[in-house]
Amino acid sequence: MNGLHGIIFSYEKRNDLRELGEIRSAASIPFGGRYRAVDFALSNLVNAGVTDVGIVLHGRYQSMLDHLGTGKVWDLSRKRGGLRMLPPFNYQQNWGVLPFRGKIEALAGVRTYLDEIRQDYVALMDGDLVVNLPMADIFESHVKSGADVTVVCGNDSFATEDGTYFEMDREGRITEVLYRLHTPRGYRGLEVYILSKKLLCEIVDECSARDQFSWRKELQTRKNSLNLRSYIWSGFAAQIRSVQEYYDRSMQLLDPAIRAELFTPERPIRAKGADKPSTYVGSNGRCVNSLVADGCRIEGTVENSVLFPGVVVEEGAVVRNCVLFKEDIVRRNAQLSYIIADKDVEVLADRTLMGHATYPIVLAKGSIV
Amino acid sequence: MKKECIAMLLAGGQGSRLYVLTGDMAKPAVPFGGKYRIIDFPLSNCTNSGIDTVGVLTQYRPLELNSYIGSGQPWDLDGSTGGVHILPPYQGSKGGTWYKGTANAIYQNIGFIDLYDPEYVVILSGDHIYKMDYSDMVARHKEANAACTISVMEVPWDEASRFGIMAVDGDDMITEFAEKPKEPKSNLASMGIYVFSWKALRKYLTEDEADPNSENDFGKNVIPAMLNNGERMAAYRFDGYWKDVGTLVSLWDANMDMLSPESGLDLSDESWPIYARSVNAPPTFLGRNAKVTHSAFNRGSDIQGTVENSVLSPNVVVGEGARVSYSVLLPGTVVEPGAVVEYAILGEGCRIGRDCHVGGTPESTAPEPWGLTVLAPGCAVESGKRVAPGIMLSRNGEEVSK
Repeated sequence: MNGLHGIIFSYEKRNDLRELGEIRSAASIPFGGRYRAVDFALSNLVNAGVTDVGIVLHGRYQSMLDHLGTGKVWDLSRKRGGLRMLPPFNYQQNWGVLPFRGKIEALAGVRTYLDEIRQDYVALMDGDLVVNLPMADIFESHVKSGADVTVVCGNDSFATEDGTYFEMDREGRITEVLYRLHTPRGYRGLEVYILSKKLLCEIVDECSARDQFSWRKELQTRKNSLNLRSYIWSGFAAQIRSVQEYYDRSMQLLDPAIRAELFTPERPIRAKGADKPSTYVGSNGRCVNSLVADGCRIEGTVENSVLFPGVVVEEGAVVRNCVLFKEDIVRRNAQLSYIIADKDVEVLADRTLMGHATYPIVLAKGSIV
Repeated sequence: MKKECIAMLLAGGQGSRLYVLTGDMAKPAVPFGGKYRIIDFPLSNCTNSGIDTVGVLTQYRPLELNSYIGSGQPWDLDGSTGGVHILPPYQGSKGGTWYKGTANAIYQNIGFIDLYDPEYVVILSGDHIYKMDYSDMVARHKEANAACTISVMEVPWDEASRFGIMAVDGDDMITEFAEKPKEPKSNLASMGIYVFSWKALRKYLTEDEADPNSENDFGKNVIPAMLNNGERMAAYRFDGYWKDVGTLVSLWDANMDMLSPESGLDLSDESWPIYARSVNAPPTFLGRNAKVTHSAFNRGSDIQGTVENSVLSPNVVVGEGARVSYSVLLPGTVVEPGAVVEYAILGEGCRIGRDCHVGGTPESTAPEPWGLTVLAPGCAVESGKRVAPGIMLSRNGEEVSK
């Protein structure tokens, strides 16, 4: 089958996500008022006509399984193909004990699945990438360019936790693969790669034999023997790898130009819906410069914030520069600024909590303040 | 597959009293409450009441309704042994006809109902906003050993002559039924929701069909015939929120009621969720100068101006300096900067140009009569134009009379 297959990695635990990452992998972190990070990778693939997607899981994937269900939201609940959950069933070690040492170990853990892929090409994506990529165009340019591997890069060298950076020549051929840089340079890799199924299997087998599990190290080793080409994406592309990055990227959504790049109507991002009524703003409510999901009830003041479904802000409460996850309750006259509150947090009446733009405070899931 | 109880939902109404607002859709497909369609209420009530088999009788302009219902998945009505079925009129070996009346619509689908061989059939209407546990009503029906149970609610005495009125005895069994009586004997009005024992209904439908003088209507023919024959007819009292949204004013009222849960219409109660096929759009953005008060909005909207006492559907745009008050905006409407919309219902995809003034307050027209302003789906009003209170515009922007 001459098409594209998707593999999304959802296993990495990033310590800089603090409380947000304790109960979930970065890929299932809520983002943008109604999404989970993985919704973006899934929608990018589905919008390019991809029908088969495997999700590589490891560690705390309960939250991910809950979210994905049968894959119906993305039209990936199919008789043939569709969404496949991939815990490391071929993994040699005692799995669940040690984290994967790299993408290749993760792929080796599901090696028999790779053989079953019906398509000739595979797109590898990270579950913690928030972006709206034109994957159909990227795939087309991969096939046309004759590249062995197409590496999708952001048009910047922003520092991201444990990022990979690429340098290239004028024709777009990758000349250098860099990581663990003190000061990032080159183009920021989005950890999105397209290559043939054949080459992918060959790399996985070869590397397993050599006990080499780092994908980027392998690219570095083979940068001369393989034709590695770049695709530069100049729109919004966030890798959610630390609380600070999470916060800054969330606040960027208040900019209409950024929203236009991420929520392109031609390539809609699909997410599981919450069966909630419309959001209601009360007679004394004030809600400005904010992104607000369904089912909220706002009787107090909300400024410069992102509200997920079902958030309640009672009369007299003030929420500024915050990200409030699903079903959070801010009681009367409580004041919050620079707070990221995980699901089901309740801030009791008259409490005041202040973080700072450079150090947003995270309230763990279910906490009562 | 035998079922104890199935529901038949009459969704064929033309919605002629909603005039231009229905556009190309059947009345039950009309959007409500910023998120729902009217038909979400009976469908969600069914699923919440444990009824997993629903026949939806459609007739006029069914395309939008059919595609909205789809597989029934949003209401959990896509089971393998029941689920939701769209039932348009069809041609049999002896020919076929349009549904002539509510009773005839059910008569033409006796075959469908027999597939499930039910003990009881619940007959529902597709133009009511309410939350009701039909299993309670069926329990009342069983307990009263009735052939038919009709849900009733008390209405103010001075309004009783607008309804079908039931007189009942001490056990709340119906003794008399009068359609819009001049001198009502009771203030118990029929809500148009019936539970029948299928054996009895099947017999009366067949007899009704054989009567050439019958209008084949439940209220006018079948119910009176059953009463005259001395069948046991029970009343089921309902005291929650219920509204027939068959008219523009009642549709507008029900939307306003949703803003105030004191009205009895509380949609946030998680024990009785109303499900809907939701649109896929990002959360709504409220701009720096947005002023939203006592209003509801849904996904995908961009609000820069003022919104007060209004209900906004998904993907609505309210520009900078625009003001929307006491209005209901259906999906995809755009109110350009500086425009004012008051006491209006704007159909899907309407565009109100800059500095337009659409509608007005009831005080503004005194002593002349006042009315809601209603725009058909897709209607565009050019910049700077005034659309007076009570005016109705078609898709092409032409005035239509009521």
